[in-house]
Amino acid sequence: MSLGLLLLLLIALAALGYVAGRQRALAAVRGDARDLHSLPAYYGQAVALAAAVPGLLVMVVWLITQPLLVERTTLSLILTEDIGPGSSRELVMADIRRIAEGMGVLVATGAANEGEIAALATQPDALKDRLAAVNVALAAPISAPVAQAALVYRQSMETGQGAMAAAVLAVAVAGFLLALWRVTPAFRARNVVERVVQVLLIAASSLAILTTAGIIFSLLLESWHFFQLYPARDFFLSLTWSPKFGGGSDLGLWPLLWGTLYVSVIALLVAVPIGLMAAIYLSEYASPGLRAIAKPAIEVLAGIPSIVYGLFALMTVGPFLRDWFAQPMGLGDSSSSVMTAGVVMGIMLIPYVSSLSDDIINAVPQALRDGSYAIGATQSETIRQVVFPAALPGIVGAILMAASRAIGETMIVVLGAGAAAKLDLNPFEAMTTVTVKIVSQLTGDTEFASPETLVAFALGLTLFVFTLGLNVLALYIVRKYREQYE
Amino acid sequence: MNDMRLTERVVTETAKMTARGVQVHYGTNHALKDVDVDILDKTVTAFIGPSGCGKSTFLRCLNRMNDTVASARVTGRIEMDGQDIYDPRVDPVQLRAKVGMVFQKPNPFPKSIYDNVAYGPKIHGLSRNKAELDEIVETSLKKAALWNEVKDRLTAPGTGLSGGQQQRLCIARAVATSPEVLLMDEPCSALDPIATAQVEELIDELRAQFSVVIVTHSMQQAARVSQRTAFFHLGHLVEYGETGHIFTNPSDPRTEAYITGRIG
Repeated sequence: MSLGLLLLLLIALAALGYVAGRQRALAAVRGDARDLHSLPAYYGQAVALAAAVPGLLVMVVWLITQPLLVERTTLSLILTEDIGPGSSRELVMADIRRIAEGMGVLVATGAANEGEIAALATQPDALKDRLAAVNVALAAPISAPVAQAALVYRQSMETGQGAMAAAVLAVAVAGFLLALWRVTPAFRARNVVERVVQVLLIAASSLAILTTAGIIFSLLLESWHFFQLYPARDFFLSLTWSPKFGGGSDLGLWPLLWGTLYVSVIALLVAVPIGLMAAIYLSEYASPGLRAIAKPAIEVLAGIPSIVYGLFALMTVGPFLRDWFAQPMGLGDSSSSVMTAGVVMGIMLIPYVSSLSDDIINAVPQALRDGSYAIGATQSETIRQVVFPAALPGIVGAILMAASRAIGETMIVVLGAGAAAKLDLNPFEAMTTVTVKIVSQLTGDTEFASPETLVAFALGLTLFVFTLGLNVLALYIVRKYREQYE
Repeated sequence: MNDMRLTERVVTETAKMTARGVQVHYGTNHALKDVDVDILDKTVTAFIGPSGCGKSTFLRCLNRMNDTVASARVTGRIEMDGQDIYDPRVDPVQLRAKVGMVFQKPNPFPKSIYDNVAYGPKIHGLSRNKAELDEIVETSLKKAALWNEVKDRLTAPGTGLSGGQQQRLCIARAVATSPEVLLMDEPCSALDPIATAQVEELIDELRAQFSVVIVTHSMQQAARVSQRTAFFHLGHLVEYGETGHIFTNPSDPRTEAYITGRIG
């Protein structure tokens, strides 16, 4: 039975449970819903949940554990000497899965029945030809043990699927009947449903946390692999970045980190003043009509894909800065520069700063403004001395969010600042950032286990630690001001 | 109404502010109709009346706070010491320094206690140096009967005080610009009885220095603190006169109905 059909059955059972639970509850009080502990719909929901949730849980657990068990038994059929030079258990297992999949296709298209498949498993070459005929191509010839293992794999998976369907349906029907049996007027269906909803909410939030933990773990693991191959001292202290595909690379972090910070600082120098002033104008001075037009118009900037900003940097801002600033001042003649990327990134960040700050400034109570006006303060004094300090924690949060965004930005840097890792103070010099190098290190043709590739994970980890630090700082600042102001 | 102190009080007869034929429209809503009132110098004047009767609206005309409401339109004539306060030559910002205001809910700024009080003197340049500013802050806090409670923690945030203390801080803040009139819009409605009693006592003391106008929902409060009472109803000024007279011998049947609890 396929997974989709099984899911459909579960849904149907849950729907049936809803109707049956509701009916049974109403029948128990002869149609007078006032005698029930909960509204009739809650009884229906309780039965539906009892039918669907345990079944789904069994299905999820089964889907995770079955491949692990089956692969273990299959691999035990392959002896170590069957694994050829340059191959590994993982590669052999991938072949087995592919062949088993091909067998499935053969059966599905009617090209062979189960008996023929079993026979084919003893003739690896014929099997390869038959598989090729249904567009399942294999690079190497199939060895006999692999073919046998594939057959076992396929059979175990099939059996497992059947067993799973039976188990899931059994659990679902049992839950359905048990819940239906428990439906009495005194049954607190509302509390049960609300408890289940609560568990669902907990599960959703823990999923987010677990994902984060998983990402960090994989970053840490790959970074650890990198530091096995490349000394951490050189990574953190070297001032040169020159990866050579073939070994002997210099993988110093500083040129990249410097580029990242330089570009981000310029971007914030552009975005923060403009964004804040725009926010103050919009929230304090603009008429409602103008605000209704101007605010969405600024937010359109946030909707432009960053690659389009990159093109703008490459085609317009870069040459402009080169012709009007860099060359006349004798600071270089490259159109790719930190300045180009920073300015364009700053433009991209304006709506982040302005939109968030605008909301925060609007949230400052009108009573504070009235208090200030009543003392005889002008509007600008009120904004500078009362509204702005009150909104400051939120504004700092908005700025740090923009900073995180700037640090993680890639496309604008590739097109605006180039890809040359350099430690330089000249803002009209081409430089590059951590994110750009992560992309370029991972998209090459080098072998995955080399330090040149794995350095990407160490860079990613550094970046992560950096943005995490920024967020912690933001929280700290916000909390500090909160204590003072509330 | 045994708790009312309807005793004879010293009343000066010089008018500090005079309002003649004041009308206020909020958009199409005619909120205040043809109001004539004289606010006497060094006197507490109470505005009473049911919710929505226009008493707060009129109060906000006296320091032109209605200017900050886009839809509000004020006509008629309001004079302070013979000068029309709606004259184009009058800067509303300067006017508000002379006509202070305290609001219904305490609204201290998110600043220290010191900075809250020093805010007005700083923006109006009332002090020449730090010592003078310290002096103003101290006297203002003393006038607001808050000095003894906060003198050791002037740098603590004003928002950390209790509700009653916050309201007295707001009074100190308004007093710090040496206003000639102090407007209070239901200053005790967010306070507990003890804090209310403190603020009422304070109002009585402040009367020695300037005229106080207080909007209140509590008739007992009006009777306790004021010398003059104005009764508003549905945007009209129904009756205005000496407080004892209004409460014991009202001339308009609507006033009598309100103070005996039949309308409102």
